[in-house]
Amino acid sequence: MRKYEKKIFNFVIRMVRNEEVAIDLTQDFFIKIFTVLDKYNFEYKFSTWAYRICYNLVIDHIRKNQAQVNSLDDDSISTKDMLSSDNVTRDDGFKNLSREETRIYIWKIVEHIAPKFRELILLRYIQDLKYEEIAEITALPVGTIKNRIFKAKEILKQEMEKDGLPV
Amino acid sequence: MACLSDDKILTYLDGEIKSIEQAIIRDHLLICPDCRRTTDSYAELHKILAQPVTSEPPAWLIPQIMKRIYPEIPKYTSIAALIAASFIFFVTWIYIYFDFSKNSLIKALQLTADSTSGWLVNIIKAISTIYNSVQAAFKACNAFLNMLLNIRLGGTMIIAFALAFSGLVLSILIRLLLKKPGAEK
Repeated sequence: MRKYEKKIFNFVIRMVRNEEVAIDLTQDFFIKIFTVLDKYNFEYKFSTWAYRICYNLVIDHIRKNQAQVNSLDDDSISTKDMLSSDNVTRDDGFKNLSREETRIYIWKIVEHIAPKFRELILLRYIQDLKYEEIAEITALPVGTIKNRIFKAKEILKQEMEKDGLPV
Repeated sequence: MACLSDDKILTYLDGEIKSIEQAIIRDHLLICPDCRRTTDSYAELHKILAQPVTSEPPAWLIPQIMKRIYPEIPKYTSIAALIAASFIFFVTWIYIYFDFSKNSLIKALQLTADSTSGWLVNIIKAISTIYNSVQAAFKACNAFLNMLLNIRLGGTMIIAFALAFSGLVLSILIRLLLKKPGAEK
């Protein structure tokens, strides 16, 4: 349980962007895993099976609460507004951010891109999964995953350029 | 080789390209400054993404999940289970140690029953039945105890085990005390 706790929690919190909901969903995930453990097929990797359950729980929650989980459109991210309450903003803009600040800044943008891109970035980089594993979890073709991750990175790069960050 | 598409560069950085193709891309990057510049620009982003900023889940999360998975057993149930478990363990150990099934008295009674008739047979049969029932009860108790232990009694299990162990030690002491001096000769 400890092995998956942090990764699952971080995936969920970045998808729903609400700590309380993330805690509830993480709990629901582990309880579900325990209740359906007897249905686990040993042909599949346990982690893939578990992440699939987690992914479905989160997607169901987002679908049911579409109004609350208001994602920003790809082109409407106002990063400076978005980060105004965080400690990464500077009087001199974003040009002189340290590496650590840049990291926080980029991951803040990730939290605000559309869920269809965000989920893939999170599965790829937080869960450290391969494209094929992501395809099994999300039931999307590998080609679509590649394209969406590419698009997500394009968005991130554009945002960095927009804010004058060296890319 | 034609210049690399951005898509290709990103897939390359993600390590999702076969080793032969990776070598071709690496060779191309050595000779093409444009592609190298694009790759470098994505490499920084890739490095940042590969080191996600993570949040720590609350420390009470796992204990709370465990509570939901294994709801707490009411106190009186635990106490009753503790007493029952201790008793069963204690008696079971004595039972195992003295091995009643090999008790010569029971054997003698069974042998007598085989070669006797009339009222004596009925008495012996009654004794045998009681003995068998006790044995069955022991087995049932053991099964019940196993079931209790499977419901995660935690502390209860440890205490019951300690009591069982002390039961074993006690039974050895009793045996030693009852041993006649010079019996080994």
